[in-house]
Amino acid sequence: MSNLSQRDAFWTRVYEMARENRDVIVISADMGAPALDAIRRDLSAQFLNLGIAEQNAVVVGSGLALEGKTVFIYAIAPFVTLRCLEQIRVQNAMMKIPLTLVGVGAGFGYADSGPTHHMLEDLAVLRAFPAIEIDSISDGVMARAVAERSIKERRINYVRLDRQTLPDLYQPGQDFDDGLAVLRPSECGVALIGTGVMTHQALAVADEIAKKGGPKLGVIDLYRLPVNGQALVQAVKGLKRVATIEEHFLPGGLGSAVVEALSDRNAGVAVSRFGLPAEKGYCYQYGGREALRGWYGVSLPQLVEGVRRLL
Amino acid sequence: MRGHNSALALSALPDLERHCQEIRTTILETCIKAGTGHVTSSMSCVEVLVALYRGGVMRYDPGNPQWNGRDRFVLSKGQASPALYVTLADAGFFPKAELDRFAQAEGIFGVHLQHSVPGVETTAGSLGMGFGLAAGMALAALKDRKNHLVFALLGDGELYEGSIWETAMFAAHHRLNNLVTIIDRNFLCTTDWTENLMRLEPLADKWRSFGFEVATIDGNDIGQVMAALKYVRSRRSARPLAILAETTKGAGIDSMADEPIWHGAAPTGAMIDTARTDLARSFKR
Repeated sequence: MSNLSQRDAFWTRVYEMARENRDVIVISADMGAPALDAIRRDLSAQFLNLGIAEQNAVVVGSGLALEGKTVFIYAIAPFVTLRCLEQIRVQNAMMKIPLTLVGVGAGFGYADSGPTHHMLEDLAVLRAFPAIEIDSISDGVMARAVAERSIKERRINYVRLDRQTLPDLYQPGQDFDDGLAVLRPSECGVALIGTGVMTHQALAVADEIAKKGGPKLGVIDLYRLPVNGQALVQAVKGLKRVATIEEHFLPGGLGSAVVEALSDRNAGVAVSRFGLPAEKGYCYQYGGREALRGWYGVSLPQLVEGVRRLL
Repeated sequence: MRGHNSALALSALPDLERHCQEIRTTILETCIKAGTGHVTSSMSCVEVLVALYRGGVMRYDPGNPQWNGRDRFVLSKGQASPALYVTLADAGFFPKAELDRFAQAEGIFGVHLQHSVPGVETTAGSLGMGFGLAAGMALAALKDRKNHLVFALLGDGELYEGSIWETAMFAAHHRLNNLVTIIDRNFLCTTDWTENLMRLEPLADKWRSFGFEVATIDGNDIGQVMAALKYVRSRRSARPLAILAETTKGAGIDSMADEPIWHGAAPTGAMIDTARTDLARSFKR
């Protein structure tokens, strides 16, 4: 099971578990996927296409969950989060009705679709709410594990899937309890922290720098928010600096979360943030994901240059 | 099958009518004491609540609010919480003394509806959401082949929320004939009449065109409310039911009724006696 898209890995696991559990209900806002088609075909009583109506999806889904159903709601990331944000606030954050929101297209996943389809604020917005966990998925193994955990634990979570098929970073059987993983130890007192697709970008930055004779940077995948502060402090112990890398506006994003967690614990580690400056605004640029990153200053060569200046 | 609440059910209309008077008095006194509460929004839906909880329409068990076989009642217009809290105290879900602590530090509830109160299903206050929750609950009941009903009470002001109509489409498409939607049609929003603000009429036609069976009644006439609700359990239609209950915002208190300025307020000062006198006088009519 290697290198499945996160979407297919996630929905395949949901499908397998839903076959054994009739209380699992999948709501789609008119979104398709091969594994979703299998649910629609084989488990039709557990599949609801509610059309492009995300507000209704969240309230109806919450009503089903109140009656004991385990509910997934699937749409393109900005629509399943921001379009129905107040419904999420009242039903889920406030009333604590368990529900799993599944958004595909984190960051520039829908690169050429334009800024309506870019998801650049979800971490900032959703981590402002109590009781909601954000699972920022970095590979198919994690997608599968998060699908399983969402059914077993019936929590309130937002699963942020990347649209791009990315190489697996983890081995099957990996446990994802800590909220972060040290993928590479640092040999120079500096580590990069990424999330989702940008963990892959962080690995590429570290590779490039090492290839050019630079020091071996640490790489941390921070895959769950709120940040597990204790685990983060442990992971950066002895380092002098970390650099966060995100495909998200800088205010309130991954970098902010890391700064808060380390500052609150007096970790004494400096933080540099690489992400999308809000002053740049939204991006009507085309030509692929890396081109959009370049417009904001987080393409691979720009990051390599920026990180080298920290060393 | 008789409901769990059969001991509380009042069968004669004059008894129910007298009970509405008692509930109105308690709502007014509760809000006067607290100095807050949406009195007028509460007054318009008293007959609906009395019919549901004391007219033998709904099945519930005040000793076991989470009883699985209960009919679900979702107050989508969460600002009418005083009406529901008074009704629930009256039905025995919690001690009536709790009403004296409405919106007080030591109390268990405040101005808008709170799901932690015994007998309350949802938190509401932000409008348009309770209807969707109710529809989801109704769908769950159909999927699980449970025969309880889900009642949703909506304000007409919240019909401006677009998600209401998303839910309406959904409810009709999925043939939620176990969902009973009651619209408290008091024609008034916070600042103006609905038909001045933005026309809702022809409202019955709107609901009908969305696939609902629609009944229009005088929602402050307990006889008409009982007649509309009496047979909801034996309805054979596959369509969800919408009851347009035409009411008066502030019904029973002439000095506050049909006046936008009284939205979200309780009488103070000299208005207290006026409101009490008005209410007492309305009982003699």
